[in-house]
Amino acid sequence: MSATRAADDVREMDFDPVTRVAGALSFQASVDVGGGRVLDASALATLFRGYEVILEGRDPRDAIFVSSRACGVSGGGHATASALACEMAFGIQPPPMGIVARNLMAALECLYDHPTSLFTRIGPDYSEPVVRETNPELWERALQTAAPGRGTHGFELIADIMTALTRFSGKLYTEALHRGRRAREAYVLIGGKYPHPQTLAPGGISSTIDTQDMNVMLMRVTEFFDYSKKVVAVWDDVVDFFLEAEPRFREVGAGPASFIDLGQWDDPYAYDGTFETATAWAQRRWSTPGAIVDGRLRTTDVQQVNMGVEEFVDHSFYESWTSQAPRLRSDPAGNPLSAYHPSNKETIPQPGQTDPARKYSWCTAPRWDRQPMETGAPARLWMTALARKLPHRSFMEPTGSGLRLAVPQAWLPTAELEWRAPRHWGALERNRAHAYALAQATLVAYENLVLGLDLMRRGGPDAGVFTHYKIPKGVSHGTGLWGGTRGYTSHHMTLESQVIESYQILGPSTFTMSPRDGQGNPGPCEAAVVATPLLSTANPERCIDVLRAIRSFNPSMSCATH
Amino acid sequence: MAWKSARSNREEAPWAQGPSGGPRGAFTDGVVHVFWLSGMSCDGCSVSALGAVHPPVESLVSGNIPFLPKVVLHHPMLADDVGRDFVEPFRQAAEGTLGAAYVMVVEGSIPDDQTLERSGQYAALGVGADWPRSLPSSRGPEQPVRTSDWIWALAPGAAATIAIGTCATWGGIPAAAGNITGSMGLMDYLGRDYRSSKGVPIINVPGCAPVGDNFTETLSMVLQYLEGIGPLPDFDDLGRPAWQFEQTVHRHCPKAGYYEEGVFAEEPGDNQCLVEIGCWGPVVQCNIVERGAINHMGGCMVAGGACIGCTMPGFPDKYSPFYKSPPGSAISGGVSKVYGSGIRRLRRMSMKTGNSEPLWDNAQEVPTGWGLAREARQEPLDKVNIFFYKKLQYNGTVHHGKRNKKQPLPGSRDILRQKGVNLEASVPVLGEKLKSREEI
Repeated sequence: MSATRAADDVREMDFDPVTRVAGALSFQASVDVGGGRVLDASALATLFRGYEVILEGRDPRDAIFVSSRACGVSGGGHATASALACEMAFGIQPPPMGIVARNLMAALECLYDHPTSLFTRIGPDYSEPVVRETNPELWERALQTAAPGRGTHGFELIADIMTALTRFSGKLYTEALHRGRRAREAYVLIGGKYPHPQTLAPGGISSTIDTQDMNVMLMRVTEFFDYSKKVVAVWDDVVDFFLEAEPRFREVGAGPASFIDLGQWDDPYAYDGTFETATAWAQRRWSTPGAIVDGRLRTTDVQQVNMGVEEFVDHSFYESWTSQAPRLRSDPAGNPLSAYHPSNKETIPQPGQTDPARKYSWCTAPRWDRQPMETGAPARLWMTALARKLPHRSFMEPTGSGLRLAVPQAWLPTAELEWRAPRHWGALERNRAHAYALAQATLVAYENLVLGLDLMRRGGPDAGVFTHYKIPKGVSHGTGLWGGTRGYTSHHMTLESQVIESYQILGPSTFTMSPRDGQGNPGPCEAAVVATPLLSTANPERCIDVLRAIRSFNPSMSCATH
Repeated sequence: MAWKSARSNREEAPWAQGPSGGPRGAFTDGVVHVFWLSGMSCDGCSVSALGAVHPPVESLVSGNIPFLPKVVLHHPMLADDVGRDFVEPFRQAAEGTLGAAYVMVVEGSIPDDQTLERSGQYAALGVGADWPRSLPSSRGPEQPVRTSDWIWALAPGAAATIAIGTCATWGGIPAAAGNITGSMGLMDYLGRDYRSSKGVPIINVPGCAPVGDNFTETLSMVLQYLEGIGPLPDFDDLGRPAWQFEQTVHRHCPKAGYYEEGVFAEEPGDNQCLVEIGCWGPVVQCNIVERGAINHMGGCMVAGGACIGCTMPGFPDKYSPFYKSPPGSAISGGVSKVYGSGIRRLRRMSMKTGNSEPLWDNAQEVPTGWGLAREARQEPLDKVNIFFYKKLQYNGTVHHGKRNKKQPLPGSRDILRQKGVNLEASVPVLGEKLKSREEI
């Protein structure tokens, strides 16, 4: 970063770019280095491409493959949300095997993405070189501390884990690259390629999925039984070590535990592609949709979740669109929609000077019930745990305050993992939850493989993967509600005369990396950065804790701005 | 003799002399910087490159591939440094003070933000305070620097410039109809006269997203060339790696044989050639079905996905609407249906005889519980065809059929029945599967 001005000990700092996140992100912050505090922070999304405008005027059959390209980090999630939007607009639903195949792709995307995020982006902040430079006393302590999870992950000391987290050379770093590739190899068997799978279609998928594909995917997924146990053990050890050594680490990236998610992994016998019944079918997802505010569950009704979302552009490089009459005054179920709702939004770019007091980001400020919300892999755990709605309990059991995960035996014995919703929410707990989310996704993948094999065994129309469709001639609307790998992903499409009249994309990192809204409320990551104490004893100017806070949100900026 | 490191070998060994007689590594001095710039990108090319295995990124940066210089990678997704510390080497390279050779990699198309009337940017890296003082700038010290500025500043000094992905190569989706940022490919931005400092025009590795190995392989071949090893890789007339992109994807497609026999998928999920559900493979230059998407696995049509031309300059507009059959397929597909149905019939006939052991021919029975029945009676036309087929096959050489016919049936054939084992008690689980398969 560069210190552009120093008054007393308060400095204006440009973290431009923030590296080791996906996409173009920078932060401008006022930092009181001596006092160890961040006084103010602004999240700047510096990229705009115009995907929503490019999608207007196209054949709706283009929507999946064009909108997927909005984000190459979570492209599968966008492609799925787009397919759901098409299905709602066309009035169709895929056969069960088509839904199972999509679930598999979504779970395999997590098996690739979670380790990549945890070890190539987040992990190096807790690695030997970084800890030695910023907090040498912690390194000394780590050399003296036995790792409680050594029976699972094989590292004797916390210091050994820190060495293994080292960028490019550490064993955990390189293993994550390897495991991510193994997961992607399974993904491309039915997805064709990754990112940007080539087999999603309105009405299902076009994969020629056979028992050979199922066998190879099964072998790949069972590799993640042991790997997810190991990843959980590593992050449990790292997080507990930091919190015990210095309790103030819980303030790094602290937030109010407010989450929003749409849930993902559809029940193949529940999803029917209509909005009116969405409340029921979305609650049967493997991860439950809903909203949590300040740690309390507010709703698990996906219609209520969708209805409460508004996007503001007071500090974003867009012109307001609300002077026009809203396109939709209510959703298909009759719930009223705000003029700021994404399905009423128009994308009117207004590039200009970056000024944190005025406009400073290409990201909009989405809010739910006018409040900033987090989303992502941790939100999936929170929502599923608190809601206790999960209908598929072969391997998972929500407790109301946590989620039990029974990971089957492979080389390591069966492990009963339990993630517990923490009292203090911050960067370290985000990382821990992210690790448990890997085990969750592994189990969802495994259950869906078994389900898919069972559908193949029974045969008949349920084993099909595709449904025919006709593009409606009049006006129709489609809303794709999907909790992609990084969380909340919604696509809002209006068709007129078989052409896309309007298309809006709301990605997960739009929520987390949002700028301030019209009321002056900062986005979740901005607030978390301001809450962060600078705890480095040797090099506070590096602001490593600010970076730990930002990276714990695991943003993907091309998801955030389109 | 103790092993020496590859680097010291390179300096001392007699075979470490380049084709020109000069020592290898003279150009890069064993280290080359790679600057990764993202324009109108989705980061999918970075994700692809991180999945590559021939070679993998971690090997490139560790310098553990013999005779390849160690890559110092300046990539925002992988870097340790942030802010000015990260941007500083970009500044040095642009000013010519880096002190090492560098390659520029561009991901994403280039927005037309140099001409924005109002100030602002569509893609940025660093702030104005980090911009080289020796170069003109329109940005204030706290304003984000346009990525398009870094690209023009770094291009002249780069030993090689590689565009990765369809956005950077040709323009891609950000440059498609409805493009409100004025986006274009790198060739359009830098112009046709651009050459790297080593005289090489822009190298284009297209694909949305590209096969990761296509990129890391090209990068390492270029690095080898710069090191004085091997030829300048073979690039085609648009700067694509020719060995990767000179063939149409259809030529190596596992479903191309269906096309030849005139059998086409009627809906997504069907196994046959995908042309009629919208596959453009016969006219698209790509290697994904042969190389696989990652580590020789997957690939669009291998998995059942129709080609939408994502490696081509016309993508996406010239290949849309997707999931609609290309007009040309009506003619070529129709011809192939007529021709293919004849070919297919002859092949199935050969397979019928080939799928039978001579012993089964003699016994007039196929000893399987799986349903393959032996045709009790051959159609007269088939008999005539087979007669002439065998004539041609064995013309001027030995006809084993005659010898096989003289072979007596083995006495222990059907041993369970001979021993009196009760074979009627088995559970019939196969049901419908016992029907013989009519068409493959």
